[in-house]
Amino acid sequence: MTPAWRRYAPALIFLLPALVGLAVFRLVPILWSFVLSFYDWQIFDQPSFTGLDNYIHILTSPVSGQVLRNTAVFALIYVPGSIALSLVLASVLNNTLRSSTFFRSALFLPYITSTVAVTLAWKWIFSTRFGLLNNALAALGIDAAPAWLADPTYALPAVAIVSIWKDVGFYMILLLAGLQTIDPTYYEAARIDGARVVRRFFRITVPLLSRSLFFVLIIAMVRSTQTFEITYALTEGGPNRSSTTLAYFIYENAFIHFQMGYAAALAYILCFLLGLLTLVNFYFRRRWVHE
Amino acid sequence: MTLTKHIWLPLMAASALATSMAAAQDTTLSYMMWDPEQLEAERAAIAEFEASNPGVTVEALAMPPEDYWPRLSALAAAGDLPDVFAMSSGFVQSWADAGNLADLTGLITDEQLAQYYDSAASVGVIGDARVAFPQNWVAPVMYYNIDMFDAAGVEHPQADWTWDDFLAAAQALTVDENEDGTPEQYGMWLYGRYSHIEPWIFRNGGRLLNADMTALDPSPEAVNALEFLTSLVNEHGVAPAPAEMEGIRQQDVFALGMAAMWVDGSWNIANVRDIAGDSFQWGIAQVPVGPDATEETARAYAWADMLAIATNSEQPDLAWDFIQHMVGEGRTASDFLGGKIPAFQAIAESEAWLEADMQPANKGLLLEIGTQPVETGFSRDWSAWRGYAASGSGGMNGELDEVFNGRSELDEAIENFVAYGNDVLSR
Repeated sequence: MTPAWRRYAPALIFLLPALVGLAVFRLVPILWSFVLSFYDWQIFDQPSFTGLDNYIHILTSPVSGQVLRNTAVFALIYVPGSIALSLVLASVLNNTLRSSTFFRSALFLPYITSTVAVTLAWKWIFSTRFGLLNNALAALGIDAAPAWLADPTYALPAVAIVSIWKDVGFYMILLLAGLQTIDPTYYEAARIDGARVVRRFFRITVPLLSRSLFFVLIIAMVRSTQTFEITYALTEGGPNRSSTTLAYFIYENAFIHFQMGYAAALAYILCFLLGLLTLVNFYFRRRWVHE
Repeated sequence: MTLTKHIWLPLMAASALATSMAAAQDTTLSYMMWDPEQLEAERAAIAEFEASNPGVTVEALAMPPEDYWPRLSALAAAGDLPDVFAMSSGFVQSWADAGNLADLTGLITDEQLAQYYDSAASVGVIGDARVAFPQNWVAPVMYYNIDMFDAAGVEHPQADWTWDDFLAAAQALTVDENEDGTPEQYGMWLYGRYSHIEPWIFRNGGRLLNADMTALDPSPEAVNALEFLTSLVNEHGVAPAPAEMEGIRQQDVFALGMAAMWVDGSWNIANVRDIAGDSFQWGIAQVPVGPDATEETARAYAWADMLAIATNSEQPDLAWDFIQHMVGEGRTASDFLGGKIPAFQAIAESEAWLEADMQPANKGLLLEIGTQPVETGFSRDWSAWRGYAASGSGGMNGELDEVFNGRSELDEAIENFVAYGNDVLSR
């Protein structure tokens, strides 16, 4: 055994179980699902090769087009919404650190609470006739409140709002950790120079937090395309598919209609779009992320 | 040879012998189904089967439908299907086409078959082969609130009710006490759900699919039924728009006393009993026959829950014995919860199943449906084009809800769901 092997062999041996697990439970299914995306397969029958049919159908089907649009709209609400809100919350809690333990815990709580349980509570809040929201609006004299979850205009934003509420605590913690690495002397110097709060925020906080913000941006973008549980429990993708996003559509095709090949092709389209967006993000990173 | 070897070798040999003898005598029959609560009700029948077949152990496993079908499918892909498993009317065609279901033709005599509801037994016949056998069947019926009918002075639903009679009753039963434009009590409750819509289509002699079930081609009778249902919501205001009931479980609207009539599956009898309790008196009736139907064309909507044997089962004879036990005399009325109707007529007609001391008092009406010509409405990819379960917001369901919510015209909705359905069916 060469000295190099002698050096790395123990590490490889220790890593082997994890590598085998990763290969068997991640890598093989990922590659296998790519192969499947060229087949028509219902799981319980024999797969038949269909070439690019699944991809062509997805790219030409009006339903897939609607689902892709919904996914984009959801991301456009969710990503800026969750980043802006988590940044504001993290900044406020960072400035009032002593009294913030309770609020930090309270804001983080939705993230670790059962998604289905809290979504059912939101379903009741949004309920048209007996919901908390519409009854509160009625008390304020607004009688023509919408059917939040049964109106195509509001259903997708409602799903996005609940998703933001659920995840914002997680992003807030990430940003709070970033904020606490910023040297307070920058703020003191800026204050002495007469910089006000807003100026200090945009000239000191945002640039010095840009690495954390970049990380949160990537995570939020990935999560925005993976929304499933909240959609499932809140709207089931309705009304008339107006809140069906790509991840939910993949689930439907895979486990309700058992169109595994079609679902695999959808998953690879999602993977391609996400990869593309991440590349774009990394390309623009140098323009606003301070290393 | 050491002392240890002296002891261990004979012990190992004895152990191997005992194991092989046990293997020769003991047989395990695997059985899987989609209703954990129902399985608990079946435990006694399974134990009885084991007792009458010494050496046989039934390994029964149940999980909810959303887990059952993916798991069963995965087992099929792995070539490891259970010997006996529950099969739905919706999936039997696809599973038979895939070659997963053993041919049971010839295992049952005509005399035996006559003991079962023909409408239920025929669902498991695909092509020329019987590939599944019914355990029970279910059918949508019209639930009605007797107290509301009596308070409004409206005659209870009759077998010869026309759709005009139904509409007149629904109008009389719609009550807006505070006159704010939103009735506190509706005459009817419906949305785009299959078990709310298809009963009216089939009772009007209509069809959604073409004759060979390969494409959506709604007949004029089906379109007329859809127009009638749309008018209940949008023209006559006797049923709420689905959007108004958002946030309330659909199966609770009638049970909570918010609507006087409701058409849905007989399995909801259990839920209405649970939710409504003794708060009001209620009964069931058949969906009125439509104006376009004749005696020959009017059909009831019903389908069967069945048992099937895996093609690759190594003990098909034992599996068939088990099925016979589980669908026939081995069962008691209490095994069939709520509105599940035993396919074996002797149990269905028993006093114990008819439950005259419980609501609905006229449960025997369900048995009349079993003797009528029935339609299951299922086809390949039904869940996709119809919009079912977690995909209920799409397909025909989603389009009809848009109509009932006043955001779309019926013609446009039909055009959309036909185009989508035919795209699904042509793939």
